[in-house]
Amino acid sequence: MTELEATLDALTARFDAAVAAAPDAPALDEVRVAFLGRSGEVTAVRRGIGALPPAERPGAGKVINAAVEALEAKLAQAQSRVELAELEASLGDQIDVTFPGPPADLGYVHPIRRVAIEIARYFTRHGFAVLSGPEIETEANNFDALNIPPDHPAREGLDSFYVRPDRVLRTHTSPMQARAMRANPPPIAVIVPGRCYRRDAVDARHLYMFHQVEGLMVGKGVHFGHLKGLLVGMCRELFGPDADVRFRPSFFPFTEPSAEIDVKCPTCRGTGGECRTCGGSGWIEIGGSGMVHPNVLRGVGYDPDEVAGWAFGCGLERIAMKRYDIHDIRAFVENAPGFAEGLA
Amino acid sequence: MRVPIMWLRDYVELPQNADEIVARLATLGFPVDEVIARPKLTHVVVGRITKIVKHPNADRLQVCTIDVGGEKTLTIATAATNVEEGQTIPVALIGAELDKGLKIAPRKMRGIDSEGMLCSADELGLPADWFEDGIMQLDASIPLGTDVVAHFNLTDPVLEVDVTPNRPDALSIVGLARELAASFGVPLREPATQVQYEGGSDDARVTIETLDCKRFVYQRVSGLRVRPAKAWMRIRLALAGQRPLNNVVDVSNFVMLELGQPLHFFDHARVAGGHLIVRDANEGERFTTLDEQERTLDPRMIVIADDEGPTSLAGVMGGLRSEVVPTTGEVLIESASWTGPRIRRTSVALKLRTEASSRFEKSLPVALADVGAARAARLLEQEGGTVRMPSAAGHAAPRPAPVTLASSEVERLLGFAVEAAEIERALGSLGFTVVREGESFAVTPPYWRGDVLISADLVEEIARVVGYEHVRAEVPAVAPQAIDGAAFERETELATTLAGLGYTEFVTLSLQPGTVADAWRTAGIAIPQPVEITNPLSEDQRWMRFSLVPALLEFAARDRALRPFRVFELGHVFAEAQPEPQERVELTALRVDRVPAFGQLKSDVLALLRAITGVEAEVERGTHASLHPGKTAALRIGETIVAYVGYVDPRLARIYDVPDDAALATIFVEALPAHQVAQYVEPSKFPPVDRDLAVVVALDVLAGDLARAVRGEPLVRSANVFDEYRGPQIGEGKKSLALRIVLQSDESTLTDEAADAALARVAATLRERFGAIPRA
Repeated sequence: MTELEATLDALTARFDAAVAAAPDAPALDEVRVAFLGRSGEVTAVRRGIGALPPAERPGAGKVINAAVEALEAKLAQAQSRVELAELEASLGDQIDVTFPGPPADLGYVHPIRRVAIEIARYFTRHGFAVLSGPEIETEANNFDALNIPPDHPAREGLDSFYVRPDRVLRTHTSPMQARAMRANPPPIAVIVPGRCYRRDAVDARHLYMFHQVEGLMVGKGVHFGHLKGLLVGMCRELFGPDADVRFRPSFFPFTEPSAEIDVKCPTCRGTGGECRTCGGSGWIEIGGSGMVHPNVLRGVGYDPDEVAGWAFGCGLERIAMKRYDIHDIRAFVENAPGFAEGLA
Repeated sequence: MRVPIMWLRDYVELPQNADEIVARLATLGFPVDEVIARPKLTHVVVGRITKIVKHPNADRLQVCTIDVGGEKTLTIATAATNVEEGQTIPVALIGAELDKGLKIAPRKMRGIDSEGMLCSADELGLPADWFEDGIMQLDASIPLGTDVVAHFNLTDPVLEVDVTPNRPDALSIVGLARELAASFGVPLREPATQVQYEGGSDDARVTIETLDCKRFVYQRVSGLRVRPAKAWMRIRLALAGQRPLNNVVDVSNFVMLELGQPLHFFDHARVAGGHLIVRDANEGERFTTLDEQERTLDPRMIVIADDEGPTSLAGVMGGLRSEVVPTTGEVLIESASWTGPRIRRTSVALKLRTEASSRFEKSLPVALADVGAARAARLLEQEGGTVRMPSAAGHAAPRPAPVTLASSEVERLLGFAVEAAEIERALGSLGFTVVREGESFAVTPPYWRGDVLISADLVEEIARVVGYEHVRAEVPAVAPQAIDGAAFERETELATTLAGLGYTEFVTLSLQPGTVADAWRTAGIAIPQPVEITNPLSEDQRWMRFSLVPALLEFAARDRALRPFRVFELGHVFAEAQPEPQERVELTALRVDRVPAFGQLKSDVLALLRAITGVEAEVERGTHASLHPGKTAALRIGETIVAYVGYVDPRLARIYDVPDDAALATIFVEALPAHQVAQYVEPSKFPPVDRDLAVVVALDVLAGDLARAVRGEPLVRSANVFDEYRGPQIGEGKKSLALRIVLQSDESTLTDEAADAALARVAATLRERFGAIPRA
């Protein structure tokens, strides 16, 4: 063994001991400074090269460099060991995860719109177009085109709001049937959500302003079973997979045959009893429907012997009230803080 | 309509269980709104008072001996004062249960053992005020010992049935019984109408002078004695909600409820001149109806007049002058048919809606007039009357026209087939005459079904009888169509995007009081003339909203404590114009925040517009009613202003009591251009260089104009003002604006020299255009 090797061996032994004894990153750094630093032990060894026996001097630099590399590798290893230990120790730290964060920047659409959007999505998926229309309608569209005779009570200003002798706030979305059919030849399949007005005193069940969605499908071979098929599908989306629909005979001047649409009560699932949502009947009424009256088809230039069609009109507030179990329709226009958020 | 099930049973065999009847009515299209339960009643039998003696120990009690058909008579003490020997009365036996939970037990009444109780109507669950004081009187013809509860079906519930306006024929017990008979497949027992006429045809005269009296059937019945009607009739009327009065008047009410034909009986002796004229009322004519109200008439109304003037208000109510009174011995039956709307308008004008008018206003079948008169004659004959032949003025009832029904029509409309035999049975059971003609049917409706005119009407009739539950759910294949549904999609996108930005949607009432517009105008804010509702229910609803702002400000005031408060409404607003009122779709957003909200609301609206249209709107100064004139931005896309954003007009802030730093934005939804597809810009391969540039400008220089000018330099990729400073170092009337400018080349890495040169060009442009001095 050369003298240099002996010196380096001894140095390495001291280094190993110092590294082993170092508990943390700062202590390791002290070790690095003491051995590998500018005025550390290794530097001292380099300075002593001149004092070595002449035979050792030419290779001394290489030998020292090799030793330094080994020391640095050991140091790096020790450093990562210490860091890992520190990270492991930090795994014991905790925060109060229940401490509230700042509120999220999220708003909410109104539940009436939410219901309208869901209905529209369902029908567009089945190939329907969604239309909108004016809230001030002509008497011709709101009544005449719908086979409602001139002496009908709705036209005498008791049930309908007028802004001109022949302009009325639409009492239903049905005038859009005439608008849609006049503008488009059959076949046609549209739905129309929109705001309607009736001259009702306001109470828990009535607002003079409300929303409906109209549905209309006319073409060759269109029959009432098609309406049932689509309404069942719509109600399953709105009220859950076991929703069911039934029809009951009724009367509307613009459909024949006509039917009320009942949906199995979403609260009691049709069992009735003391259920407050359906009043114990197990079913809730959501709107009217029927096969479009031949006079309506003729009025827009369709041939009732060639094509047939159905139409329905459902109250969106009514659907929303049953869906969210709301018992006072005024909640929809009171806009209480948190109302829309609570139903999102 | 109030329908006692006991009355239905007179004409049709029905299940015992009321629920089955209720369910069947609903499937026929007559939903039952309410089932009114009857009290539990047991052990009540028909008895006859054979002897009455005064109670030995009590002045106010009498002791009756009652024959209840058995070997042994009963001794019953009663406090009732209307008892007489020979009366037939309901007797509650020991163990009986009566209304209000009353139970009859043996008891001693002042020393006499009383073996039951004589019943008043009240104790049988009938309205006490509508029946005799004291013990109820039954007909002597009922065998003694008969179970009263079973005999009258006293515990059958009463139904409140909803009848659609197209079916006035079903506003009657027989009409509903007919429907049930058809549905249950059992026969209908029609009420009897045969009478024995005595004497020749009537010498009374009726002249019709109005087209709206379609038929007027009249018939004289003499030899009547006015007294209480029989119990079966009084019970039926009372449970149907009609107060029994006497055996004559009750017949007219009974026939109205039974058949749906309202009748009027004149006291014939008090018809002046024996001649009735049916005519339009004269303007201002005065007339006292039998409710003792004097009414002022006008020519919209029809009267029936005698020599002394009006004596009945046609279709609505009879007159006091010729009403049936206790001394009436002879009546003239009027059974008429009127044009429905005429009766409704009369009823509305006089605010007098009666059972008669609510039926006539639906235009009753003409032929029903004859049937109604005949039935009344029959019932009056049973009361001892002598009936003359009927006479009629006006038209004969039109013969219903046959309707052709192709056998395939049911399936074409409803999607399920019904066999020919079933079609014949269903229609036949409802009174239709069906003749098969090859592949179709000639169907003649019965006289009472004036609502059935076309084959679709027949399809509904068939479906009602076989049951709507046969409609099978089938999802149709919808043919492709070219209808533009973009408006709804756009509104959906606007609302959901704005919700994503933190705004919550409100729905507010679209009618408002005049005070809203008045307040704005008084504050000096110009608004369009609102659209007026000509027939509002109240002053609160007289005007259509001209803007979405007022309602949102009201809610902002209510929710003043909430900050941030971010809401919007998307809906129609209206303005008066000629010839048509204007209607627009607007979206108004309101933001109140912890810091002045304008900047954030503007950013939100720009982001919203960008998302909806694909275009960055230009921001410039603007003014808009509701916004502060100096603190309002107009947002322009192309040549069109699509929105305004600004601080609330301080005059409105004061009116509504909302903070001055509330910001509002209104978007004109229909003015938004269709979404424009953006073009991809390939990013430069060379690094960008950021530079800040601060310049001193006059106070009226707009940050947006400055940034726009900077963007004119070809190497500038983006330029935004990020800070404004005013202070002594800058000087009076000046401000310093700091811009962050990103420079980048597509051809090479920018050298410092090139960037400096570009910045120098920018500074020169700003100096030239805005007099901007670079700040060290």
